[in-house]
Order: sequence, then structure tokens, then C-alpha cells
Amino acid sequence: MEYAIQIEDLVKIYSRKVTALDGVSLTIEKGDVVGYLGPNGAGKTTTMKILTNLIRPTSGHAYINGVDVNKRPKEALRHIGALIEVPGVYDYLTPHEMLTYFGKVYGMSSKQTNQRIDEVLELLNLSDWAREKIGSFSTGMERRLVIAKAILHKPEILILDEPVLGLDPRGMKDIRQLIGQFHDQGMTVFISSHLLGEVAEVCKRVIFLDGGKVIASDSIENIRNRTERRAINARFLNPLSPEDIDRMQAIELIDNIETVGSTARIHFDGKPDTSAQILSTLVSQGFAISSYHVESMGLEDFYLSVMGDNEKGVR
Amino acid sequence: MTFFAGGVRGEVSDTWLSIKFELRKHLRRKRLLIVTALAIVVPLIFYIIPRIEDVDFGASASSFAANTLGFLPVLIVISAALFAGDAICGEFEKKTGLLLFPTMQSRTSIFIGKYIAALLATFLVVSLYCVVTTLEIMGVYGVGEIPAELAKSYLLALLFTTSAVSVVYFLSSILKRAISATILSFVLLLMVMQVIQEVLGFIGVEPWFIVTYSVELITERLGEVTFGPGNHDDEFNSARFSPDLYVGIGVMIAYTVILFLSSIVVASRKSME
Repeated sequence: MEYAIQIEDLVKIYSRKVTALDGVSLTIEKGDVVGYLGPNGAGKTTTMKILTNLIRPTSGHAYINGVDVNKRPKEALRHIGALIEVPGVYDYLTPHEMLTYFGKVYGMSSKQTNQRIDEVLELLNLSDWAREKIGSFSTGMERRLVIAKAILHKPEILILDEPVLGLDPRGMKDIRQLIGQFHDQGMTVFISSHLLGEVAEVCKRVIFLDGGKVIASDSIENIRNRTERRAINARFLNPLSPEDIDRMQAIELIDNIETVGSTARIHFDGKPDTSAQILSTLVSQGFAISSYHVESMGLEDFYLSVMGDNEKGVR
Repeated sequence: MTFFAGGVRGEVSDTWLSIKFELRKHLRRKRLLIVTALAIVVPLIFYIIPRIEDVDFGASASSFAANTLGFLPVLIVISAALFAGDAICGEFEKKTGLLLFPTMQSRTSIFIGKYIAALLATFLVVSLYCVVTTLEIMGVYGVGEIPAELAKSYLLALLFTTSAVSVVYFLSSILKRAISATILSFVLLLMVMQVIQEVLGFIGVEPWFIVTYSVELITERLGEVTFGPGNHDDEFNSARFSPDLYVGIGVMIAYTVILFLSSIVVASRKSME
């Protein structure tokens, strides 16, 4: 099977004898949106720089659509749109001038380039600024412009390194929506971040990296299931009487109950089916329930449980 | 063979793209405008001041041309430093390389394009300077008095341009900061090399291997420079040498080729860490 991105035993040791990547291997299928998660210094940016041929690995291989990036960069990079770190921009040029150059680099005709520039600037809310100097742009506008550059040639694969870095909440939401659109268009998206919550909003799968090694990989669905605790928080319309509590404790699926006023913390085996059956039984017994949800440890707690608290590594 | 030919064609076309983009950047940054203005204003000073002061322009068209062209090497160094000083290290220092490099365009074609763009911009400056000088000679001495040696001086100035741009470009490839590359280029080409040249002259060793020594060829064929940076009629220069035309050309070509190739190798291996 040919993967959109395939990394084999990638090692990167910087000149200061610092190991940034220590045998990273991973695969990303075509059309997937995958998060690459790790603390600062885990090696996320190093991986992405190798994938985009900005640096060479000490050993190992990185493939884009089956093409070795370091051996045949021109062919491999044809399929990629990339945003790595916070790139500088030519602040004395206009977005139109800058994007025209990159359109030509990707072999687009003048007509195609102009048409595509209009499309991407419209998509990123920069149409009114097409002929203004980039030097007058805010951080968010610059960020949107470099994303416009990354998608200009309609790449099959988009590599985004901390795409929401430095953006305000509105900007972050816009970027998340854009990533959703790219996925709908069939694009493979590989996003690095140190925020699980951020990645969980847009990704189907997450790869955890720490100390230059892949330490876990799972689907967002499984991660959400794993974060759920074996307890349900239920709130009732009326305060619970001792009889109510006895009736609840008589339900076989419930292990035990802690109650305070009109709320109850119901302990059970943690299975989603059991949770549904408990709810159904409570309703059938005439309990008036105003809220009912399975307790979760939270994505950030899960992240820390996978990573540990120590932030180590290089970059 | 077809693949190879296609590859070369692709590289040439990518280099051409890079040249056009660089020239546009030079225009937008007003650098091209500034040195172009200097290329017109500086030789005009040699015409306007004598007119205002009502003094002779010089005994002959050749001596006028020698004096005027005496300032050309300084302008070439300024132009080379402005166009090539930040060409390589600027992409790393300002992180614009993170936009520029992860594309299907090879780094070699990007860097060759940048070099050629710096060269073309400086050629334009040299050409303008020589055109203005020629027009002045026509105005003062008449069309028939334009010295034939002026064409040779022009060609030698173009050759010095290639070596000066190569020196600056090499510094840009090995240094991390654009400002360091630019300042070091000025210091090296306008001071250090000149000082070494003078010291070697003083102890009786001909500094044939120093590129700024070959610069004297630009004006030497026209006549003696009586003032300006090209004037070497000073007490310190006890052993006066004259550069040999062919040796000078050889030295300028050697500086151009060696430093250009070295800078391409260094720049292509530089990583965006």
C-alpha cells in the first residue's frame, strides 16, 4: 500500500550531538487528517523539516506518496503544501506578487495562477489586501497568507507545523474550519501541535511524540473512550429521597451511588452500553433527570498521562 | 538522455523564475532605484562642478574618462553589497527560506538565480555610469573624441563586477547575518584588500593576486587618475606596480568562478535548523 506519508526509522542528530529524532517510524494514509502531538522539544518540527527537505536526516527515510524526499525532492515536494514554524514574509511585496512567484514555481500558467490567487485569498479573507504591502499585515493576516501559499497549487498533502501559533481565538477557529474543508476536499493533512484539545477538534488520529520517539498512536474516538471514567454524573429535578436512593441502588448495573441533594454520582463498569441501560432504567422507573453524562478525565489530563510531566528534547 | 535534458530545461526555467523574482524584490526594496540614481548622479558631478566653477574638464577626453571612472569600482562594491549581501544569509536569518525552500524548485536554481540577479542589477549600474560618462565626453569634447579604450574599460568594469559580486555572495553564504555580510564586504573590498595591496607595494611585492589591484585596469588604459579613490600617486606607495592586463583578467575570472561555485555549494548544504 502506498501511503501519503511514510517515515522509516528516522534519526536526526544535530551538530551539538543532540538527538532530536531517535528512530521515528509512522505512516499516514491518503485522505487522513492526523495530529502529531508532543511537548516543546519532542521533535515534531524536526520531523516536518525532514519531510519538506529543509534538513537532512542523520539516517532513515521519509517518503511522500512513495517518493523519498531527500533523494528525489523535486518529485516529492510537488505534492506538498507546507507551513513550517513561523516563516518570514517578504514585507515589501504584495500577496499577489508573492503568490504569483510561487504559482510559477509550481508550473501554473499566468491565468491559472491569477485565478487560484483570487480563490485562496478569498478563502482566507485576504481578498481586500491582495495589492497591499505585506509589511502592513497583522500576525494573523501573515499566518493566513502563508497558509494561502501552502494551498496555492492544490497540494494532495498539507503539512502544518503549529498552524494556530500566535493566532487569537477567532483566527484559531478559522484555521480549524479551513482544515475541515481541506479534509472534505480529500486532502491529507498532517498537523503538529502541543495541544491535544486543538488537534482533537480536527483530526481523526493522533500520533504522540516525546523525546524524539513515537510513544503512542490512536484514533481520536478511542482516545475519547479511554478518557472516560467509570462514573456518571446525574442531576434530578427533585432532591433524592432515601427511597429514591434505595431504588437506584437496587438496579443491578449500578455498583454504588454517592448523592448530594438532587445530584448523584453513579459508579458502573464504564461500558457505554451499560451507561445507556442505566439511563433507560432510571427513566422507566420515573426519575425526572435534568442532566446525565459520563465523567471524563479531560484531554489535557490524558495527554499528561501519556507524556508524563517532563518536557525534554530539542525542538 | 531525454530525462537529463528535461531536468536541465527545468533547472534553467526555475533559475529564470528566481532571477525575475529577485529583480522584482530589488525594485520593490528601492535598492535598484538608489544605486541607479547614484550611477547617474556621480558621473554628473564630474561634469557639473567644473561647469559651475568654470574650470577645465581635463586635457583630454581620456583623462576626463579616467577621472570619472575612478569612482566606478566604489559604486560596484556598493551595488554588489546591496544586491548580494543578504541574498543567501537573509533567507535563513529572516526565515523566508521556510517559504522559499519547501517547493519543487531546487535550492541550486534559487541560488544561481539570486547570483545572476545581483550581477544583472550591478551590470545595469555599471552600464548607466559608462553611458553617462560617454554622454559627458560627447558634450565636452565632441563625438569624435570618445576614446576607444572606454569600451575596454567598460568590459573590465563588468568583469570586476562579477568578481565583486562573487566575493559578497560568498560572504553571504558563510555568514549568518545579512548585516555582517554587507559590512564585511565593504570593509574587505574597500579597505582590507587595499591596505594589503599598499603594504605589499611598499615592501616591493606586486599584489597581482588581489582582485582590487586588478581594478586599476579599468582606468589605467585611459590615463592617470588625478584624484578620487583611484589615485595612487601618494608617498606611501613607494614601489608603484601596474597590473598586467591578462593576469588581471585571470585573477578576476578566478575570483568569480571559485567564489561563486563555493557559495553555491555552501548555500545548498546550509540547513534551516
